[in-house]
Amino acid sequence: MELYSPEGLRLDGRRWNEIRNFECRINTHPNSSDGSSYIEQGNTKVICMVQGPMEPTLRSQANANKATIEVNLAVANFSTLERKKRSKSEKRMVEMKTTLERTFEQSVMCNLYPRTVIQIDLHVLSQDGGLLAGLTNAITLALIDAGVAMYDYVAAITAGLHDQSPLLDLNGLEELDMSTLTIGVIGKSEKLSLLMLEDKIPLDRLESVLAIAIAGSHKIRDLMDNEVRRHGNIRSSKLVNN
Amino acid sequence: MDTNEVISITKPEALVNDIDSDVEMSDIEDIETPKDNSNTFKSSIVTPGELVTDDPIWMKGHGTYFLEDKTFSSVAGNISRVNRLLSVIPLKGRYQPETGDHIVGRITEVANKRWKVDIGTKQDAVLMLGSVNLPGGVLRRKSESDELQMRNFLKEGDLLNAEVQTIFNNGIASLHTRSLKYGKLRNGIFLKVPSSLVIKSKNHSYDLPGNVSVVLGVNGYIWLYKTVAKSNSAANTSITSNTSKFQASVDSSGSYAPGQGSISITRLEEESSWEIYSDKNDPNISNSVRTNITRYNNVLKALSYCELGITEQRIIMGYEASLAYSNIGSLIDKEAMESICQDIINNEKMRGA
Repeated sequence: MELYSPEGLRLDGRRWNEIRNFECRINTHPNSSDGSSYIEQGNTKVICMVQGPMEPTLRSQANANKATIEVNLAVANFSTLERKKRSKSEKRMVEMKTTLERTFEQSVMCNLYPRTVIQIDLHVLSQDGGLLAGLTNAITLALIDAGVAMYDYVAAITAGLHDQSPLLDLNGLEELDMSTLTIGVIGKSEKLSLLMLEDKIPLDRLESVLAIAIAGSHKIRDLMDNEVRRHGNIRSSKLVNN
Repeated sequence: MDTNEVISITKPEALVNDIDSDVEMSDIEDIETPKDNSNTFKSSIVTPGELVTDDPIWMKGHGTYFLEDKTFSSVAGNISRVNRLLSVIPLKGRYQPETGDHIVGRITEVANKRWKVDIGTKQDAVLMLGSVNLPGGVLRRKSESDELQMRNFLKEGDLLNAEVQTIFNNGIASLHTRSLKYGKLRNGIFLKVPSSLVIKSKNHSYDLPGNVSVVLGVNGYIWLYKTVAKSNSAANTSITSNTSKFQASVDSSGSYAPGQGSISITRLEEESSWEIYSDKNDPNISNSVRTNITRYNNVLKALSYCELGITEQRIIMGYEASLAYSNIGSLIDKEAMESICQDIINNEKMRGA
């Protein structure tokens, strides 16, 4: 299997700096949540629902200074080609949950919501690489939809290194065969709020991988921003009519 | 390698334009372009992280943050300016209580001298024992025995309508039910809609056609119930029932039971008897009233589905439009909800609203 052909085409026909089809919707579940979103990053599909800020169910969750962010992650049995039952206590899942909680504790203005909890429910419907990035983007959109104050968008994407050339937005097959870097970029800046690298990348190559990943994140941010504006304009035009 | 180039293929823009042709899309393209003249703000919405103004003259309000002399938005919403105060009002969000709001809530906890009430805010509101009408009249001191039997008045899960009395410094709302129109809710059905859809007005409880009344909580919690009979006849019956009770309480036990047997002078004292905290529904709610209540329930669901602001007039118009459907259950079909809302919009246009 040739991951990157001499002509510069990848398995699915993309160029090295091409992201997969990115689709997103916000306010998909207006009745069952305060904020909701749905994203497709290639074949990775995620639903996110946000409840809160709300009164915590347990006293222990209440922090007198800031809001507690609680992430629940559910991966559907049918999300991969092979049907498989997954437990919530799996090590990878717990790690992903903690990573997301810590990422968003930084970008959400938690100090504005003392003694409350923000509950984020994620449902992975289909996975094909870049799961953590997809989850991050879905949470960002759902939090914006919920009207929770944030410093900026957190847009995430994966990038990998094949031989000498960096590849942007890896799919599932590519992710198996090369080291994958996931980053979450704050808005249009070059500040990272999330960086995940589970295997190795040579230090002298890391910079070029990071550079394309940051550029890719900015693109994702723009695509998400378009959707937020599209939805926002429809909504505010309806309210003006009243 | 030029790393700033990213190729992305998305659906053609024309398709998106087609769906919402009634919305002006002109401002979509200009993202993060700081305006030279900070006094002319864009009419479209701002999103988190967007520069609102770099003029330090503005005071920052809700929905903004301040970094290096620049004010950024922290939510997606519309900019509002009041004198020098600049804030961004989110398009959506939890209900923000304000003093004087008429709200519907549900008791979540009975605590020391107070009830905790879920009113859809970030933190539960409190209803102090001192701010409710207890049996026995308004000017009665709240005694220790009242504290002990708080659960007899209101217990977990009970619904009530109340008014926001004050907002404490920490943002928690304090409620009161010191009026005859507030108190425990009976004989009806509860419904929740996004609070942004409820349009604030002078009055939030209406009598609707079909012998149904509604309490349209500002917090988006709605209570639909059977209209109570007019006060004249009600007062007469309760006076007779009161006198008989008075005799009963004297006969059975010589002990003093507040409100249960005392003869009242004003209507308020009389109606704030134990009956206002009763858990019993009216036994004679006719089938037609029940079906009307469900019809209104589904009309309100349709209004919230189409994200139309909810007013008394629109509820009535929706009800009239819904009469075309004999099966109430079919009202919550997508097509039915859309056609009802279309009817309402057309109706408003005809009236020139």
